[in-house]
Amino acid sequence: MAKDVLREAGLHFDELNKLRVLDPEVTQQTTELKEECKDFVDKIGQFQKIVGGLIGLVDQLAKEAENEKMKAIGARNLLKSIAKQREAQQQQLQALIAEKKMQLERYRVEYEALCKVEAEQNEFIDQFIFQK
Amino acid sequence: MKLKLSLLKEPKHQELVSCVGWTTAEELYSCSDDHQIVKWNLLTGETSQIVKLPDDIYPIDLHWFPKSLGIKKQTQAESFVLTSSDGKFHLISKLGRVEKSVEAHCGAILAGRWNYEGTALVTVGEDGQIKIWSKTGMLRSTLAQQGTPVYSVAWGPDSEKVLYTAGKQLIIKPLQPNAKVLQWKAHDGIILKVDWNAVNDLILSAAEDCKYKVWDSYGRPLYNSQLHEHPITSVAWAPDGELFAVGSFHTLRLCDKTGWSYALEKPNTGSIFNIAWSIDGTQIAGACGNGHVVFAHVVEQRWEWKNFQVTLTKRRTMQVRNVLNDAVDLLEFRDRVIKASLNYAHLVVSTSLQCYVFSTKNWNTPLIFDLKEGTVSLILQAERHFLLVDGSGIYLYSYEGRFISSPKFPGMRTDILNAQTVSLSNDTIAIKDKADEKDTGPRQFTKSQFCYEELVTRADISQEPQTCVILIPNLPKVGQEGRKNEILEIALDQKGLTNDRKIAFIDKNRDLYITSVKRFGKEEQIIKLGTMVHTLAWSDTCNILCGLQDTRFTVWYYPNTVYVDKDILSKTLYERDASEFSKNPHIVSFVGNQVTVRRADGSLVHISISPYPAILHEYVSSSKWEDAVRLCRFVKEQTLWACLAAMSVANRDMATAEIAYAAIGEIDKVQYINSIKNLPSKESKMAHMLMFSGNIQEAEIVLLQAGLVYQAIQININLYNWERALELAVKYKTHVDTVLAYRQKFLETFGKQETNKRYLQYAEGLQIDWEKIKAKIEMEMTKERERSSANQSSKGIGIKH
Repeated sequence: MAKDVLREAGLHFDELNKLRVLDPEVTQQTTELKEECKDFVDKIGQFQKIVGGLIGLVDQLAKEAENEKMKAIGARNLLKSIAKQREAQQQQLQALIAEKKMQLERYRVEYEALCKVEAEQNEFIDQFIFQK
Repeated sequence: MKLKLSLLKEPKHQELVSCVGWTTAEELYSCSDDHQIVKWNLLTGETSQIVKLPDDIYPIDLHWFPKSLGIKKQTQAESFVLTSSDGKFHLISKLGRVEKSVEAHCGAILAGRWNYEGTALVTVGEDGQIKIWSKTGMLRSTLAQQGTPVYSVAWGPDSEKVLYTAGKQLIIKPLQPNAKVLQWKAHDGIILKVDWNAVNDLILSAAEDCKYKVWDSYGRPLYNSQLHEHPITSVAWAPDGELFAVGSFHTLRLCDKTGWSYALEKPNTGSIFNIAWSIDGTQIAGACGNGHVVFAHVVEQRWEWKNFQVTLTKRRTMQVRNVLNDAVDLLEFRDRVIKASLNYAHLVVSTSLQCYVFSTKNWNTPLIFDLKEGTVSLILQAERHFLLVDGSGIYLYSYEGRFISSPKFPGMRTDILNAQTVSLSNDTIAIKDKADEKDTGPRQFTKSQFCYEELVTRADISQEPQTCVILIPNLPKVGQEGRKNEILEIALDQKGLTNDRKIAFIDKNRDLYITSVKRFGKEEQIIKLGTMVHTLAWSDTCNILCGLQDTRFTVWYYPNTVYVDKDILSKTLYERDASEFSKNPHIVSFVGNQVTVRRADGSLVHISISPYPAILHEYVSSSKWEDAVRLCRFVKEQTLWACLAAMSVANRDMATAEIAYAAIGEIDKVQYINSIKNLPSKESKMAHMLMFSGNIQEAEIVLLQAGLVYQAIQININLYNWERALELAVKYKTHVDTVLAYRQKFLETFGKQETNKRYLQYAEGLQIDWEKIKAKIEMEMTKERERSSANQSSKGIGIKH
């Protein structure tokens, strides 16, 4: 009877017969909850840590990937430009070769003219000797 | 020829270099978009910033004020004009002080150029205007205005015309208003640069169509370059007009004045926006797009003479190779070599301070003397002496280094003389008279224009008595009073007596003329030798002239023939096809019997002509007539016989002439010569010889001087020169009846009536008695015979005593 009265008043007795404001069951549940929460928080914390590590790792990876990508692009560009440079160089060399060719042609003409002169002079000498 | 480049590792300018200009042969100013003006000293290799311009001035073009002519002390330019993108030009002193800034154009000024005298400045801009300014920067006139920007401008050689660009067109506009403007389409792209050389009067143009072209001053194309990979951004003539430089992206090219290229360099410069030649013409500087200034030295020039080949291997070193034994000599000089010439067994080299004279016999001990002014622009050699031309004068030296003379004449401009307008022989210097061109009114020259007296008053005869200087004025145009045909090239013959000195020249119509240098009172005519002659040269060993005539290579074995017997001139020629030389060939040298021709593409072609005419010349000059005849018999050539015929007539050797004329089948002439041989006196022989050469007047004078009046009358009668015959007869009061008798006979033969008043007058009351006349003639003949025999006997006695 008295218990009921107390309950109505919001008071309870626990197993050790101590006066409690909260229902011992609830208390127990609360405690349990508390424990579980703590566990949970711990676990979450752990999870966060792990995830953080992971993100860091992935970030780093991404960075490295980016780097590599840039490098690759750079290399590719370089390759392309080298091709172009080669082309330019080739063009320059071609121009120089053309120049030399022209010079060669000039020398060839001169050589031919000189050969002709030589032939003429030989002929002249022969004729001269023959006539004498 | 090659270019030796020098380029610093790091550019001195942060931005593109827009313009460069030389002050002396060793000092250069460069302007850049980083607003700096930098001075480069090439002797020490130092560069220093002269001035940093305000940030809003972007320089575009720079031109140094020209050295004033004739002032020797002033060896370097003192100020320059700088044009900028804000439409102003600035007159800046050597030390970098901006003395004046003038608001000139709307939009950038793209070019500014002083004229040759430094009396006027022309600026052109993006607004399409061409403006002329005074020395102090006052606007004189706006010469022209057009819708497109003018990228480049150049003065004509006489500073009276301006050449500028108009898109794809080139325009030459005289300063005089209402004068004819010459305009032509020059390129397929926008023209970026033009240059006009004062010495050779040729025009260069460079354009975005990746070509450069060479034009003459009438706008005729002379050379058209092949297509380049990039637009041509700059061109510049060397001061002496023999070379020019071309700049493009990563490209620097050195070309001959005929357009073909000596050397190509591909330096890492970016586009070369501006090229400037140093004053002495030995190096160029280029303003590069990447902030560099590129310097290029012209090396490996080559001179050849007989068996010697001289190459300029470095700036101060020459290599001499004797081709016969492969001996190599190295010649070292203290200073930079500027000009050299190898001929007549001597090598003459001028450096910036001294002149070296080497003999081909001894390369070790040159003769050295100091030069008055450093930059020799021309060296000409003759057998006995050589000529140096620099900015202020002409100096004649012997090969022993002795100074002979320095001829001067009013209006002399030595900076525009070149090998075509000056000619030197052992006793004569001929210079084309430039002042003559400007004359608008008819100057009182005698018909020939070569009147010796006239020339003496205009030119100092040098101290050396046998050296004379003649100025060659332009030819008067036939039928056009006061207008003259410009002479393009002159050449003196090298051998023979001073009195026989001949000069050959080509005029603007490409006609070749020959005339005597010395005259003795009489008028010697200028005789046309050929047409369409592009180039000519006298042999160095004898008076043989060669030239390229249209498509034929012609050798005048004895040009003097025109004075002796014009009819056989064509027989004294040697001709061969010259189509192998293509267009515009040029004779480089004529040494012995070897002619060297440079084709338009730059290749040298050697031609050897027959050695016999030279031998013949030698025999004749030493009067070995028998040897000469023997030579001709041995060779059996018509040309040689014809030469001998002309030579023997010129030297009055009748026996040889008879043989020679007989050999070429000129029977009429043989007959005439025979008749001359039978003449009784020396004088009449002489006179008939002159007649033979067509000098009738002189023949008459000879006869009259000898008192042979009848003979003088007779030659006029024979020539049907009735007026003169009667005049002489009346004047000397003898043989009037003879003249009248012959006249009557002539009229009767042709069935004509006497119409001549003088004859009618004298014929009145005169009975013609042929018997009497014949007796009279006979008497004259015997008189002459007696006289000459008397002469001879007196001579004979003289010898006996």
